[in-house]
Amino acid sequence: MMKKHKISLKQREGIAGLLFVTPSILYFIVFFLLPIAVCVYASFTNWNILSEKKMFVGLRNYDRLFADPKFWKALQNTLYMLIPVPIYIVFALLFGYACHKNILGQKVFRAIYYLPYISSVVSLTLIWKWLFNSEYGLINDFLRGLGVADPPNWLGDPLWTKRMIVLMISWKMIGIISIYYIAALKAVPRSYYEAAQIDGASSLQQYFKITLPLITPTTFYLMIVGVIGSLQTFVEVQMFTPDGGRGFGVGTIVFYIWQKAFSSSQMGYASAAALVFGAFIFLLTIIQFAISRRWVYEGD
Amino acid sequence: MQRKTTPGRVVVFIIILIGACTMILPFIWMISTSLKEPNLVYTIPPQWIPDPVKWENYREIWTASNLLTGIKNSTIISVLVVVFSTFTSSMAAFAFSKLRFPLKKFIFTMLLSTMMVPLVVLLVPQFVIYSKIKWIDTLLPMIVPASLCNINTIFFLRQYIVGLPKELLDAAKIDGCGYFGAYLRIYLPLCKPAIAANVIMLFMTTWNDYFGPMVFTHSESRQTVQVAIAMLNSHYVQQTNIPHMMAAALIAELPVIILFVAFQKHFTESFAMTGIKG
Repeated sequence: MMKKHKISLKQREGIAGLLFVTPSILYFIVFFLLPIAVCVYASFTNWNILSEKKMFVGLRNYDRLFADPKFWKALQNTLYMLIPVPIYIVFALLFGYACHKNILGQKVFRAIYYLPYISSVVSLTLIWKWLFNSEYGLINDFLRGLGVADPPNWLGDPLWTKRMIVLMISWKMIGIISIYYIAALKAVPRSYYEAAQIDGASSLQQYFKITLPLITPTTFYLMIVGVIGSLQTFVEVQMFTPDGGRGFGVGTIVFYIWQKAFSSSQMGYASAAALVFGAFIFLLTIIQFAISRRWVYEGD
Repeated sequence: MQRKTTPGRVVVFIIILIGACTMILPFIWMISTSLKEPNLVYTIPPQWIPDPVKWENYREIWTASNLLTGIKNSTIISVLVVVFSTFTSSMAAFAFSKLRFPLKKFIFTMLLSTMMVPLVVLLVPQFVIYSKIKWIDTLLPMIVPASLCNINTIFFLRQYIVGLPKELLDAAKIDGCGYFGAYLRIYLPLCKPAIAANVIMLFMTTWNDYFGPMVFTHSESRQTVQVAIAMLNSHYVQQTNIPHMMAAALIAELPVIILFVAFQKHFTESFAMTGIKG
């Protein structure tokens, strides 16, 4: 009698648990697994949203993709967008460390540093487009004031547009990334510093020998998420250069896929490109995990 | 902690101050530009204080753009997503942290794996699926999937609920509360600070989303606020009414900024509490 009751309790808990996660499972199957299956299937067809006819073409989409110079150009531009990751990590660490050490005016600074992050990319690009306007923009006016005779044509020259996007992403992310570092710095035990002080370590030594190594798990997490995010840069590109820039000098892979899928309606081809891109990100993440064993602190 | 003035600190302070200037000045410039006469934005040197101040820009923008429709649609989407997703995600977080059920680890790992897949891989096939079920050019693609689950929220709240005592669940069961009762009456109220932080993040990402609405809708009456202001972005500067554009962008920013200022404390504290470690 007693035993039977226990089992039914356990079963009740099991059923309750499953019911609680039902919406998540539904999401996973309908909006994640099914789209991926459709994507894989579509990548082997010449699916075009305009004509309902679709034919199985085998690996032809993949052949075409790898033979397209524009795809390789897009890959190059996408890798360029990794530059902001180390930049904002370094500055966020500096800022987070200063806040942790209770720098003068830190409350005001923190509120200001979050401002770009909470703004939408669309609004930001609208301001930036105006700030970086080559003739009337504030930036070039400032540069001319500094004596730069021929300031860059930020929106016309693909290389400068890419540099501007790198600057914008770095600038936008410092605030939010610093929150992670402030939390991580709080978690470093004080006793470590006290012991180091007794041994006569300078504050610089303490920083490099204790603080930095102990917060490597946070740095690693931020790098993984940052790389995945940066590789998917799209809105900035679309807003600054609606056609991907002169000679496709700005267009990223996501932009390339978006163009193929929604401007040329080549759903099959775009699906193949999206899968290759997904595999590329997956591979990069695995590599990062493999390298992490060499530098990430794993606890005592 | 006491403050000491050392040369190193002064240098760091100056770097941070310069950084802060680069972050606040664009917004001040945006406000200034939004109050100018359209032809006065081209003056050299740039004018910081508009003369004359043209407040009418803020009245004209409502008829000169699709901003009102955008705000209406974005409000519908954001409110529904925030309410439903907070509910469904906190329920899942509760189950993952406090209940034992079959395939728990497996399901959680599956959900985590969704974070690794780039959005564009899903976007193309989702478009195909939505066109089959006639969801294209409705608000449903922005509402339904996001309402079912948000993996970030689940992960975040799970970390938080793990830290709450399990005895509360046992006590609830003795009182005949049932699992749903224990979740609703005990654990959910205890999660309030973490939920507040999440509501801000969720509202922000939903309100600021542009990629989804741009791909899944096309008629003017379905535009979200981000799509509406992106429409003001013309390829040629001379064709754009810059003050209108700035005013619209500023209005679109306001809800998030207000929410953020009101809850900033909750937001940063919750981050520290859950000690996000990955």
